[in-house]
Amino acid sequence: MTREKTRAGKHLSELLMNAYMGIHGRAAEGAFVVWGAIIVPPEIFRGFENVVLCVPESHAALCAGKGVGSEECLKAEALGYSMDLCSYARIDIGSLSDGYQDSPTFGLPRPDLLVSDNNNCSLLVKWFDVHRREMGVPHFILDVPFCYGPQQEKDLAYILSQFRDLIAMVESMTGETFDEGRFREAAHHTAEGVRQWKRFMSFARHRPSGLTVFDSFVQMAPLFTSRGTPEFAEHYKLLADEVAERVAAGVFPVPNEKYRLLWDNIAPWHQLRKMSERLAELGANIVAAPYTSCIGSLEGSFAPFDLDKDTDPLWHLARSQNHSVCPMGMDLRLAALGSAIEEVGIDGVVFASNRSCKVFSVMQMDEQRLIGEKYGLPTVMIDVDHADVRKFSEQSAYLRLEALLENIEAGRVG
Amino acid sequence: MKNARAMIEQLRKGGKPVVGCFPLYPPLELMHSMGLLPVVLWGLRDSVSDTRDADRHVQPYACSVARQLAQFVIADGPGLLDGLFFYNACDTLRNLPELLREGIAGSRRITPPMFRVHVPMKEDGASGYLANEIANLIKALQASYGVSFSEERFARSVSLYERARRLCRRLEDAVAEGVLTFAGFSAALASANFLAVEDQIALLESTLSDCEGSITQPSATRVIASGILPPPPVICDLIELAGLRVAGNDIASMHRSYAFSPEAWGNVRDYYVAFYRDHFPCTTLLHTADRRVDAVVDIVSSRHADAFVFVGEKFCEYEYFELPYLEQQLKKSGVPVLSIEVSIDDDGSAETFRTRIDAFAELLSGREGRHDA
Repeated sequence: MTREKTRAGKHLSELLMNAYMGIHGRAAEGAFVVWGAIIVPPEIFRGFENVVLCVPESHAALCAGKGVGSEECLKAEALGYSMDLCSYARIDIGSLSDGYQDSPTFGLPRPDLLVSDNNNCSLLVKWFDVHRREMGVPHFILDVPFCYGPQQEKDLAYILSQFRDLIAMVESMTGETFDEGRFREAAHHTAEGVRQWKRFMSFARHRPSGLTVFDSFVQMAPLFTSRGTPEFAEHYKLLADEVAERVAAGVFPVPNEKYRLLWDNIAPWHQLRKMSERLAELGANIVAAPYTSCIGSLEGSFAPFDLDKDTDPLWHLARSQNHSVCPMGMDLRLAALGSAIEEVGIDGVVFASNRSCKVFSVMQMDEQRLIGEKYGLPTVMIDVDHADVRKFSEQSAYLRLEALLENIEAGRVG
Repeated sequence: MKNARAMIEQLRKGGKPVVGCFPLYPPLELMHSMGLLPVVLWGLRDSVSDTRDADRHVQPYACSVARQLAQFVIADGPGLLDGLFFYNACDTLRNLPELLREGIAGSRRITPPMFRVHVPMKEDGASGYLANEIANLIKALQASYGVSFSEERFARSVSLYERARRLCRRLEDAVAEGVLTFAGFSAALASANFLAVEDQIALLESTLSDCEGSITQPSATRVIASGILPPPPVICDLIELAGLRVAGNDIASMHRSYAFSPEAWGNVRDYYVAFYRDHFPCTTLLHTADRRVDAVVDIVSSRHADAFVFVGEKFCEYEYFELPYLEQQLKKSGVPVLSIEVSIDDDGSAETFRTRIDAFAELLSGREGRHDA
């Protein structure tokens, strides 16, 4: 089954191409280039006229999605980096090593500043340190405490103070003054885009679902290339509107949807199309994933955490620094997962044990047991690697996925 | 040496609460000064014959340190430990507290009180945050155990731990001089880890005193050993049998732990700000990366070592992110590097290691021969 590219799909391609070309163009004209981790708030850099942000993790995901992930990993391994290291990091280091010869975006422009964030994973700091040593550019570490419960006031204050230090550092390196107005405007563009993102995601509640998780994985990309711009908000409005129209018209990605599944982990970028089509043939639709549902929320919840006009945007960004699953303890993750299971209506959960992302995966064995016990849902654990296809066994994964569907079916019959 | 379980049981007989501290660098002095007995939960290999309980909670691609620690705490923690201390030493360890809680709850036992601290992973602008974390930890320990804190007692504990660290450094010298084997040194430190600091000092002094009468081993090719834990005894033996002497080390549970104590400090909060900020560089203390290569090169040079042996902990990404650069810099300085990887399941692989270690030793002796010629 081949799905026709949607309007939002075509728009996404244009948006991404423009974003990457824009970054290269502006860098060539002398803009100050920051490489940031995905959780580093881009709105901060939008507060400067002549600063552009690139996100190596997003570039790595794109490489994996375009089928060059393993080739890039091999280049890093040839430099001595262990195959056990995160495949995003290996792709990034590998692709940089030969001047981005196989990159679908012509790579990333050389950075003037590296900004890592250890809340998603501390290894990002080690990874960015590789670049710091290689390129001799400064490296700012955003040190964000892990949350076992709701974010504490002391941690919020600590994060805020680091945001201010980061702004001061960029000011000092660029000679440009941070423009509060530009920043506020960017934050509101993001907030509007995220509202539309949540609207888009809400169509997963429809039966059959208005989207598959694979759509949401693909549609995440502007979050790392275009946040803080009017185009960002417009894109997600277009996406949500289009899905609304399709649902109203009775057009669904898996029309014969029999099994509604939840995916727990990062997207398997090298498998999106294949997995989506194969599951659809079986009447199965993965309709939700914490990885995409967490966007625009706080730790322990997938409910919207909106930015209103009276709120300090910097405070808002600091308060939502622990939203992205990895910086949450198990109780918070279970609370968020549980709400998705109940609200979206899930028949079974796929725990994707991802060797490239220990922080996401290490507590999944207990999560799997506890979710099974609390909700009486069939679950399955499959081995994946988000970007290195060499560490993914298609046969073994589908065997388990099919067993999950049989298990769901057996539960219905019983 | 008795195993960790037996040693902690012995410790408990003194009547003080025993706090199991997760690796790598917990605030031992503070806990000791408050009348507690802190032990760092690593080197548990002898106490953990398998990881069957941990395997139900921890993914198999977590390192052996985490898996053995989880097994030890789930199986033995509730009856053996009066508290557990964690800090954000690595991504796996920061996720363990709730896994252990689940593991212990699975056998209907009560989880000991848990204490958590976030150690800032940056140098600038974090001292106030860490000072507050230490103050909160003191309050939590007071509330849990009914103990009190005083700066005077803390200063005495600091002095005891510094004395123990100094003795470790002298024992490292003894290994470099060939009057103590590296395996013997590692075993002494492993035993000391499960003693009160006063007894650690006695043990280390006695080990040192035993060395004084020992005959110096014949000269050998000098190497620096690196990794998270000392190599398993079988690998230590293979290194020494191959004619290599561990003249120094950059091992997290050894040199990185005892190389440094703050010299001047005003109060407990200042002490720990300096302790973590100026700590001997470690791959897990993210802000120390700038200083790490220089520190390692300095050990190689000051110990007149001919080579560097990295014994990597399988799945320790912190170590493996830095290894290629470290290796490159050492090789640039003319220092050959042998990198081997050990994992929890590697007990039966001694022959593979033997071949690699022997080949490396031969390579080094060939170099020496060429230099002599």
